[in-house]
Amino acid sequence: MFVVATIAVALALALAVTRAILGPTVFDRVLAGNVVGTLAILLLAVIGFLSGRPEWLDIGLTYGLLNLIGTLAVLKYFRHGDLAHDAEKDGSRE
Amino acid sequence: MNGLIDPEILDIVVTGLSWFAISAGSFFVLVGTIGLIRMPDVFTRMHAASLVDTLGAGLLIAGMMLQAGFTATSLKLLFIFLLLFITSPVATHAVAQATLEAGDLPELKVDRRDRARTAGDAVETPEA
Amino acid sequence: MELYVNLLLLTLMAATVIAIIQQSSLFSVVILSGIYSFLMASVLIVLDAVDVAMTEASVGAGISTVVLLGALHLTRTTALKSHQRVFLGLFVSVAVGTMLMWGVLGLPEFGVADAPVHTHVAPTYLLESIPETGIPNVVTTVLADYRGFDTFGETTVVFTAGIGVLLLLGGRRRRGRGAGAKDAPK
Repeated sequence: MFVVATIAVALALALAVTRAILGPTVFDRVLAGNVVGTLAILLLAVIGFLSGRPEWLDIGLTYGLLNLIGTLAVLKYFRHGDLAHDAEKDGSRE
Repeated sequence: MNGLIDPEILDIVVTGLSWFAISAGSFFVLVGTIGLIRMPDVFTRMHAASLVDTLGAGLLIAGMMLQAGFTATSLKLLFIFLLLFITSPVATHAVAQATLEAGDLPELKVDRRDRARTAGDAVETPEA
Repeated sequence: MELYVNLLLLTLMAATVIAIIQQSSLFSVVILSGIYSFLMASVLIVLDAVDVAMTEASVGAGISTVVLLGALHLTRTTALKSHQRVFLGLFVSVAVGTMLMWGVLGLPEFGVADAPVHTHVAPTYLLESIPETGIPNVVTTVLADYRGFDTFGETTVVFTAGIGVLLLLGGRRRRGRGAGAKDAPK
């Protein structure tokens, strides 16, 4: 089972990176980056837990938060052009 | 409880269920990323990618939780699953909104946008 | 089995770098660099170095992406065409890479017990760490105690770099927003 799960997640990583390289628009790449982050968490959980080292799951939590904050920061920059944009002051667009 | 359920059979059932869950989780992870490659549009690719975060991660983590039993490791696995389950729709929604604001509209077979739209909701290209 | 997973991940990293070189939209370059860092973190996970993997993920995929986006806001967002000849750079990279690989071939086997790196000061650190300092983690005692001056230098460098980046990115914003990129990301 360990081998099957690891091979599946590794192949899925290869496919997601292919979409990141191919994707014609930049939002394809943002989506593929999010999937690569999730698959890295799953790879960490599978290799860590199923080879007897469950302490690695704490690092999976860190990766989850990093993935979310990174994706949201990139999209906030695309949408507003400024990473410190305050949506309440700019009442017209929301 | 000891007299009702034979612990060996319980062990076999739990191990079998966990193997099945891990196999199903791996299958859905692969299906999700194959969909990410084959789908024609950004919005349909988001549908495929969300499969990885919910079904794929959920079944893999459920299989591992069945093998871990009632320990603190199961709680950590549950937290990882809850984190993925709650944050990935937020990220997908943000990507969809950003794509629409940049002017990239989905390819629709039947365009029902005029029927459903009220005045003032029209998608316009931003002035950057 | 881990060897094959590592080979796959390293091939993916090479493919990502080739895609980075060929892109002309710098937004895509920034996202592909984030993906490269996550792949490197996965390689480090498979090699059992999980703390290094966490550092790589948070620096490469977290801070670097955000800081590079802030820098893109101040400059243009498409790559300029390079007018230099490419052959000199290619020759220098290939020559240096070949010399490095030839040097690596001369190193002793990985993990052999009588290699010089394992017999010089490492036994002293391992044997005398707990009696002298009382801290159970040898890596911590080497970084913070036996090689404390190196760590001090590193901390100074990192703080200086952070202050420099903050000055560069923060100063322009007060003079006017959106002075750089006006085109929609594509």
